[in-house]
Amino acid sequence: MMDTVFSVQFLGSLLQSTLRVTTPLLLVALGELYGERAGMINIGLDGIMTFGATVGFIVGYITVNPLMGLVAGSLAGVLINMIYAYSTISLRSGQIINGMALNILAPALSVFMFRQYFGVTTKLIQGTVLASVYIPVLSDIPILGPLLFRQNPITYLAFVLAILTAIFFNKTKPGLDYRAVGEFPRAAETLGIHVTKMKYIATGMCGLLAGLGGAYLSTCYMGTYSEGVVAGRGFIALSAVIFGGWRVRGLVLATLLFGFTDAVQLRFQTILPVIPYQILAMLPYLATIGALFLMHNSGLAPKANGLPYSREDH
Amino acid sequence: MLGSRFKNTIMKVSISIISILGAILIGAVIIASVGENVFIAYGFLLRGAFGNSRAVGETLVKATPLIFTALAAVFSYRCGMFNLGAEGQFIMGAVAASWISVTILPFGGIINTLLSLLVGALAGGVWGAIPGLLKAYRGLNEMIVSILLNYVATLFMAFLYSGPLMEKNIPQTAAVFDDVKLTRLLEGSRVHSGIFIAVGVAILVTYFLFKTAKGYQLRVVGLNPIAAKVNGLPVKKMIASAFVVSGMIAGLGGATELLGSSYRLMAGFGQGFGFDGVAIALIGQLHPIGAGLIAYLFAVLRTGANTMQIATGITTAVVDIVQAVIIIFAVAATAITALPGVKAIVNRKWRGIEQ
Repeated sequence: MMDTVFSVQFLGSLLQSTLRVTTPLLLVALGELYGERAGMINIGLDGIMTFGATVGFIVGYITVNPLMGLVAGSLAGVLINMIYAYSTISLRSGQIINGMALNILAPALSVFMFRQYFGVTTKLIQGTVLASVYIPVLSDIPILGPLLFRQNPITYLAFVLAILTAIFFNKTKPGLDYRAVGEFPRAAETLGIHVTKMKYIATGMCGLLAGLGGAYLSTCYMGTYSEGVVAGRGFIALSAVIFGGWRVRGLVLATLLFGFTDAVQLRFQTILPVIPYQILAMLPYLATIGALFLMHNSGLAPKANGLPYSREDH
Repeated sequence: MLGSRFKNTIMKVSISIISILGAILIGAVIIASVGENVFIAYGFLLRGAFGNSRAVGETLVKATPLIFTALAAVFSYRCGMFNLGAEGQFIMGAVAASWISVTILPFGGIINTLLSLLVGALAGGVWGAIPGLLKAYRGLNEMIVSILLNYVATLFMAFLYSGPLMEKNIPQTAAVFDDVKLTRLLEGSRVHSGIFIAVGVAILVTYFLFKTAKGYQLRVVGLNPIAAKVNGLPVKKMIASAFVVSGMIAGLGGATELLGSSYRLMAGFGQGFGFDGVAIALIGQLHPIGAGLIAYLFAVLRTGANTMQIATGITTAVVDIVQAVIIIFAVAATAITALPGVKAIVNRKWRGIEQ
């Protein structure tokens, strides 16, 4: 057993699968970061992911093109998040309650659409999966090969996006303006920033990335669709934003940690059949709680996070 | 002059009713959009819920667990806490009740029933204590922690019914003994005495929240934790206790569902009850009685939806969409009435009625 664990091949595939399972978490956590940096807490990520996964799967299945599925899933995420946006930004109702409403509405809509298209069926329907990149020679390097040169295109996209997001928020003028909306919306408004518009854009970004993360699950990771495919990943991504202290670097590390835990438990399910898989499957959830316990970063949150905004209020 | 409390209640009730009607209308549009006759579909839904005494009994069976999880949500929310983990607490309550009732206690009968209910409530309380304590003393986000614990509870239950507590080779636990099951109330219907427990808890929660000093303090913490702290209330302790009680209500619900309806643990037990409870609590305007009524409405929709699906082929998911739309409408409507412009109009109208 120990030989298996410490073999180079095992380590290589473990790290490779870490990135595979980190991808959706990273995408969705980045989406939530775009939201919260403009003061919009969205606990409906799980719901948006479910919707993205369903629409992505159905469109990918119809067009036999997983890329179309990913695009459709992302747009579906934007669309459903506009309910949240209108209710919280324009009507100024509570963000938490609206997030909750998405978590209930999106799965219901998803089940409805899926059954409408495929009928009530118990058998798993297989869709086309977006193939991984395979760079010859380089991907044969032990450990680093599979880690860096044999990944899904969306995995590369997620990490590139993380870098771009870090640059945007820290090095650009529009990025600083954007952050001002989440910190001091009133001051931002006096500087000529259209706070309401920015909040809509932020919510759109959040929906886009959460929808993409969901669609990744059904069109890149699983290739099939089943109810409950998201399995709390939205909440783990939400935790990653807190654990990562609302910074891209922290968020990447947090999602990698959660992804690693998930990859480890998935591997252990195959090499350690003695331990019931249900016990192993608890690990990512427990690790997330443990991580939140060790680091409580709430002081780093954007100051106007979660608060409604109105130009008229004083 | 009408009292402002009375006005408030009328406002809240009308918001709920308008939201429900609006959502039913949306449901009609969805049914029509898939080419079905709305009147026939809703007709089957009503017949499925009220067509005979068995159907009516079934609505009560379905309402029972929802009342518990909705009360759990109301209780914690009144203390300013979002307990999104009622599903996990419900499951842990049922797990503990099943284990105690079937495996541990050497005797059956009413004593077994009562002890199992008690242990179920305690287990739910322990499961609720985790996010409560982490929130109160460590500042962790209680919503995230309680939700993550739902997954842990579901997996733990799955481990038990497909491992140590598995009955033969079927992934489920053994059924509780016949003389332990909650009494059936109606010949030919599954309705059981658990509904009385649920209603009893609703009355207790109402009494506690609105008629006792402790209940008042809890609501003060919920409305303004800083003022509560300044006035010397032990806010942290109260937050943790509110979570424990909320978990106990959900856990008792799980034990009741086990002893009254499902009799055993199996895949899907308790699934969705936690979020449904939160939704019901919100639509019920966070009042125990309102929540109880909305829980019954949800149960009616669900019982009827099964008949509708069998008769017309329209999936029960339509009803789930209707339920979700009710919350969105209720939240939006409450927000609209709070907008400054709308508030002024509403106040003018009230004055018009009074004159």
